[in-house]
Amino acid sequence: MNQYLSPCHDRQACITRNQGLVFYYVGYFSQNIINAIGDAVRLRLECSETPGSLRRKIFSIFIEMAQNIVHYSSDQLTLESDRTHEMRAGSVCITQESGHFLIICKNPVTPEWAQQLRQELEALRVMSVDQIRQSYREQLRREAPEHSKGAGLGLLTIARDSSGPIEYALETNPCGDVLFTLKATL
Amino acid sequence: METRLYIPPSPNTPEVDFDFAARRLCIRGESYPESAVGFYHEILQRTRDFLGSLEEGEVQVIIELRYFNSSSTKMLFNLVDELNAAAKLGNQITLDWYHDAEDDTMLEFGQELADDFPEIHFRTLPIETS
Repeated sequence: MNQYLSPCHDRQACITRNQGLVFYYVGYFSQNIINAIGDAVRLRLECSETPGSLRRKIFSIFIEMAQNIVHYSSDQLTLESDRTHEMRAGSVCITQESGHFLIICKNPVTPEWAQQLRQELEALRVMSVDQIRQSYREQLRREAPEHSKGAGLGLLTIARDSSGPIEYALETNPCGDVLFTLKATL
Repeated sequence: METRLYIPPSPNTPEVDFDFAARRLCIRGESYPESAVGFYHEILQRTRDFLGSLEEGEVQVIIELRYFNSSSTKMLFNLVDELNAAAKLGNQITLDWYHDAEDDTMLEFGQELADDFPEIHFRTLPIETS
């Protein structure tokens, strides 16, 4: 696993200085780990004064991002042929900054997958709220795309639950893979 | 045909209690399995078999989920699609869609299903929580 997965450039300084940090995890993700950290995220949000509807949207984005890491990170411990109980590396950070929640995930992807992501995310970024909802409704009624391990609705769900356009970055890292960062704001 | 499909709840999958003999199908809890297709495969298959054997039957369906992820959404849509097809063939299908009173996304999805599948007697029922 590489150090580039940290959501902040200066990780130590960032975590200790950041008063708004709700949750941060970097490492290998499996479904069992998601279940456990999902509980922690829910509890952490319940203990804050965040309204229920906002808490649900944050949790939804968190689960979609974490499951994307389990399904699509190119840094994996399990075999490619093993389609259940996958374990792959990435990071997820939930933090509060000037009255907004930021949910940021990072994971390495293959160059081919990066291209796929860029295409989908560029399309999403220019959509209005209504267009995102419409696109979601259409995708729900279509067969899942061939490259998807789910319903092809994950990024649309993240965009739908965010209050502003989602931001992303794809940077080639020294290991040859592409580091994918996705940021949702609420 | 077996008359009941029971799957106990887990942290990320719902309790499934499909009592085919009593014509009562319940799904309750959380739904974010690693593979929704894998988890819902048997549920959809058994439901299809059961609905195929019905003739002007009455079926009560209860869906009470706290949270479901995007791929589970698709599977639930497919399940309700199957129910609607059975309703079109003359069966009486009632679906009670419970949602947290504060959860707009869940309510909107329930309403959308009700609009899409008008053959089903659909009720959206809020649950009050703290």
